[in-house]
Amino acid sequence: MNAVQRFIRSKVLLLTAAILIAAMCLSVLVQSQSQAALNRTVDENSRGLYDVLVQAKAPSSSLMQPEIANGSGGISFEQLEAIRKLSGTSVAAPISLVSRVTQNLESPRLDAMDYLGYNAGLAGTATADQAAGATAPDQWPAAESVLGDETRKYRLTASAVSSDGVSEQTLFKSTAEGTLGKARLVEEQTAGGSSIRIAGPADETGIKFPAPAGGSEHNLFNLSVSLPMAPEITESVVAVDPAAERALLGSAGDFLSPLEKAPPADARDAGAVGRYLEGLFTNGISLDELEEGPDFLGVKLKYWAPLMTQYQQAKRNGQLTDDSQAIPLIVRSGTSLDLKYNVKIEEIDDAGKVVKDVGTVSRSLDKDYLPFVSKDPFVLSWPGSTDHSSLLGSSGNFNQGLYTPATWSTDFAAAPKYTDGEAAANGAEEKTAVPGEWVTVNRLPEKSANGTPVDQTQREPVDERSYRENLATGEQAAAPLAMVYGTFDPASVAAAAGDVNKLPLGGYDPTPFTLVKDAAGNEVPATELEPSLSATGLASQSAGAITDYYGLAAARGYTENASVIDAVRVRAKAPGSWKEAQPDVEQLAGEIREMGLEATIVAGSAREDASIFVPGYSKDDAGKESALGTVQQSWVRQNAAEAVTGSLSGTNITLLFLTLCGAALLTGASTVSYIRKRRSEAGTLRAMGWTQGRIRRWVLEEFGVGAVLLAVAGIVLSLASWSLSTALVSASVLVLYAAAAFFAAQQLRHRDEIDQEPQHDERLIPVDSPLTFANRQLSTNKFNTLSLAVAVGVFGAAAGGLAALLIDIPRAAGASALSGLAAASVALPSILLALAGVAVGLVLTLVTGRFELNAKRQYLGILEAMGWNPDMLRQVRLFENALVGTVALPLGVLGALGIGLLLAPYAALWAGVAGLVAVLCWIPIATKVVQ
Amino acid sequence: MTNPTNVQRSRRSGSGEVPLQTRANTIVKAADHATPLELSDITIRYGGGKGGAEAVSVVEGFDLTLHAGEMHCVAGRSGSGKTSILTVGAGLTLPTSGRVFWEGDSLESMGDDEIADRRRALIGYVDQGGALIDGMSALENVLLPAVPDGEVDQRRDMAKDLLDLVGLGRRMRHRPAQLSGGERQRVAIARALILGTRVLVVDEPTASLDRASANRIISILKDTTSDGIAVLVASHDHELVRLSDTLTELI
Repeated sequence: MNAVQRFIRSKVLLLTAAILIAAMCLSVLVQSQSQAALNRTVDENSRGLYDVLVQAKAPSSSLMQPEIANGSGGISFEQLEAIRKLSGTSVAAPISLVSRVTQNLESPRLDAMDYLGYNAGLAGTATADQAAGATAPDQWPAAESVLGDETRKYRLTASAVSSDGVSEQTLFKSTAEGTLGKARLVEEQTAGGSSIRIAGPADETGIKFPAPAGGSEHNLFNLSVSLPMAPEITESVVAVDPAAERALLGSAGDFLSPLEKAPPADARDAGAVGRYLEGLFTNGISLDELEEGPDFLGVKLKYWAPLMTQYQQAKRNGQLTDDSQAIPLIVRSGTSLDLKYNVKIEEIDDAGKVVKDVGTVSRSLDKDYLPFVSKDPFVLSWPGSTDHSSLLGSSGNFNQGLYTPATWSTDFAAAPKYTDGEAAANGAEEKTAVPGEWVTVNRLPEKSANGTPVDQTQREPVDERSYRENLATGEQAAAPLAMVYGTFDPASVAAAAGDVNKLPLGGYDPTPFTLVKDAAGNEVPATELEPSLSATGLASQSAGAITDYYGLAAARGYTENASVIDAVRVRAKAPGSWKEAQPDVEQLAGEIREMGLEATIVAGSAREDASIFVPGYSKDDAGKESALGTVQQSWVRQNAAEAVTGSLSGTNITLLFLTLCGAALLTGASTVSYIRKRRSEAGTLRAMGWTQGRIRRWVLEEFGVGAVLLAVAGIVLSLASWSLSTALVSASVLVLYAAAAFFAAQQLRHRDEIDQEPQHDERLIPVDSPLTFANRQLSTNKFNTLSLAVAVGVFGAAAGGLAALLIDIPRAAGASALSGLAAASVALPSILLALAGVAVGLVLTLVTGRFELNAKRQYLGILEAMGWNPDMLRQVRLFENALVGTVALPLGVLGALGIGLLLAPYAALWAGVAGLVAVLCWIPIATKVVQ
Repeated sequence: MTNPTNVQRSRRSGSGEVPLQTRANTIVKAADHATPLELSDITIRYGGGKGGAEAVSVVEGFDLTLHAGEMHCVAGRSGSGKTSILTVGAGLTLPTSGRVFWEGDSLESMGDDEIADRRRALIGYVDQGGALIDGMSALENVLLPAVPDGEVDQRRDMAKDLLDLVGLGRRMRHRPAQLSGGERQRVAIARALILGTRVLVVDEPTASLDRASANRIISILKDTTSDGIAVLVASHDHELVRLSDTLTELI
């Protein structure tokens, strides 16, 4: 019988080799699947909209602040062109923060329905049937009004409340009283005949809030009460190269196409543009033009009316000069500013006592709000009112909107500054926001629109903390005129930037802050911070408008090419994943650095939440400052892809190795068991005259067959997975198997001392209880005891490793968004591998536990025959296992600690605890199983 | 399959036997029941479990009344059920049917703990080959039955006496591996007697022993009966069969 036949005959060897090969195949398969999933996740998420961020000054750490447009400039247009000319550049898109622009909302008003029905003689209604969509005169409803036939006295209380998401602040509260009643038609004789006008009741006083608010007046459909001014709103404006930006954003950047058609700088004279639009108004404009907006050099100016009225207002105030330019803008749709305007309406008696609470009406700035335009009038409706203005049909796009020109400031806010704090176990960084000066907001303008002084007592200015640095750059430019070319939706831009590898676009794609802990450090429900009115707070909303670099020059006062570009976002030509494109991207970044610019490679980055402590956020009436707490904001973790891949790949390989080591150990244990059973066979061969060496060779030949099978399996697996790590792990397993074989063969050698045991040692602990009996048995069979203890230790270590993995996989992967995805992709296979390790450890305990099972059964039988009751026999088993467990504990705990340190250093302690628990749990389980 | 017919024949032991001159009367309790062991209509079958294998009937309708001071031998060929009868009599296994009485009490009404306690007080079981616990000296092996009652120290002198009794007074510190087969068998008998056993159940005590060793064992067993101890022995040793008071031959 040759070695192969003997190998096949010896089912134990065949079975252990098969188990080991199966374990290798399964482990390598699971590991390679896990690695593939990891690589796929990383590849899919490793490149954002651009690969290299060029700035004048590089970020100081690998966690990059998301605000790249800060107004500090530093990059010239010559340098931009040079970047574009590099062979590896696909897109180079510049961006700059242009300016801070402040604008008042149009005067808010309260409309109380006071409709008098159709009257052909009334101005405004005569031509109503000619307007598009107008209701025919005979179909106008009957008159109705929310006001009484007799005048009543009302008190109106107007207030505005703003919230930063954490606390609300009342910006003003103003009250006015007066009598109001239903309007009437008054016929007046004029030179040409008679005319009809609308007038209030004779004894109506009307209601007037302090200047700059006007009073109340009756019109065709309503009684309108002019309300106090809403607070000023500050917006930021950024400049981009529209063509490059569209190339960067893809279809998500289509909103910039009108900006590409904007006239060159020498064709942007504000006076000329204003006069052109004014001419349209005075000379007449077609209904089509009203609907779509008049054509201005190939672009339909949908919001031409506010521009015209702002031009007229600026001209009246003398704001415009000959150098003033119209700045083409793509403005943001809506606002995230939480500003709520309330009017409380009460009917009162002459003594001022409330007779009836009519109600409170509110309106917020919302998605319909457009900076520089304000699409709809800011109107609040008296309770019970119906808007009958649609009876007149559509007025096209002729809404006056904001008529006060915005104030442009070059003293704008730069990015907040932060100081570094500690890093968490997973690398997440803690920072502290550096507070700047207190900024006073909520002021009223010096003069109203008509030039009259404003009652400043009606408004209490508010001090707001600035976390941004004011930058006075450039020269004071001539007052510009905002010319709205289109709108954009910040949400769709943010969506285009992706999630995991989200890279900051700059200014119009700001990163929100979320409050997670209060000032005392207690966790609070996550609350997103709302931007403040002044844009000097920590949180800012998307820029109010985007312009081009001519617009920047006009707003900032630069007359020639200056270094005003804050950052250039460069996409490399190299296609594919970050891994594939890395050499080209690195070369491109190197070439940019040679120009004297800082080029940060952001390909392979991922967003990561930075924890930021915000001190000095508010102050009370006594001037005492209070912190806000801790907020989180997504920053950019450089080299996240590399770190995640390296960390999780290492975990994968280590797990594979450990699992296969366990399998090899199991094989070794089975082998020893097999060999011990063949001792008698060896004795027979020895009696037949075989030498010790020949007997050993005879056995090793059988193991050689198994080793060849393992080697073949290892080579096939290595070739199939084409992985060096698989080859190394397979080779290690083969070595372990061979070592087990040699050890087992050693066990066959003849030992004379076996039958020459020393006489009983009186120093041994006397056997007088189940405990001492168990102790004697274990000390008598040291090899079995140690084998079982090692097996239990391996089981404990594997259980500890599993616990460490479960706790630590997310941490080991890091704190970036990519790490979360990557960890999720490898979690299941990793846990499967670790579970396999635990299972191997458990089986190992069973195999080693059976080494002398017959002997154990025999002595338990002897004890039973001697009258030891079942409880005492159970105690013997329990004490035996407890003593084995005691020996195994250090191995299990230290092994678990070691695996923990190797796989998951920060969970090593927990791994040790898990190892301890696993060994302790094994004791009763084994006691039960042996029964 | 074995379907034995039990043939039972009785004879009293000859008066020429020499009683064991030992201190046995100080260490062996006097019999306090005329029939310490009784087996009634015992049937033992093996197999016939879930695997569908046919049940093998080893013993059917076996009856035995063992009196104090009597040695009963169960003889028969290998596989005829000798050991099965002994383990059933010692309460180590339950018969398929039939009843076992210890001093008139049926084992059916006893729980495991009670059986163990009663066995410790009543039965001394000597396994085939004199199974001893490795790693423990002959003396420690003899003292093992005293462990449950915590009487190891109290019984130490008694154990030494018993080892003297079986001729191993000089080898009491030797381990089983250092003893011959006959010596191990004698240690096992001493161990079976340590708690004042009233029934000695001995399985093939002379198997694999030379004649001299076998005779020594037979002599010890025979001497115990003179102290009122009942002996149930399974053997096909002709000398043992000859010297037993009663005999059951399993065919």
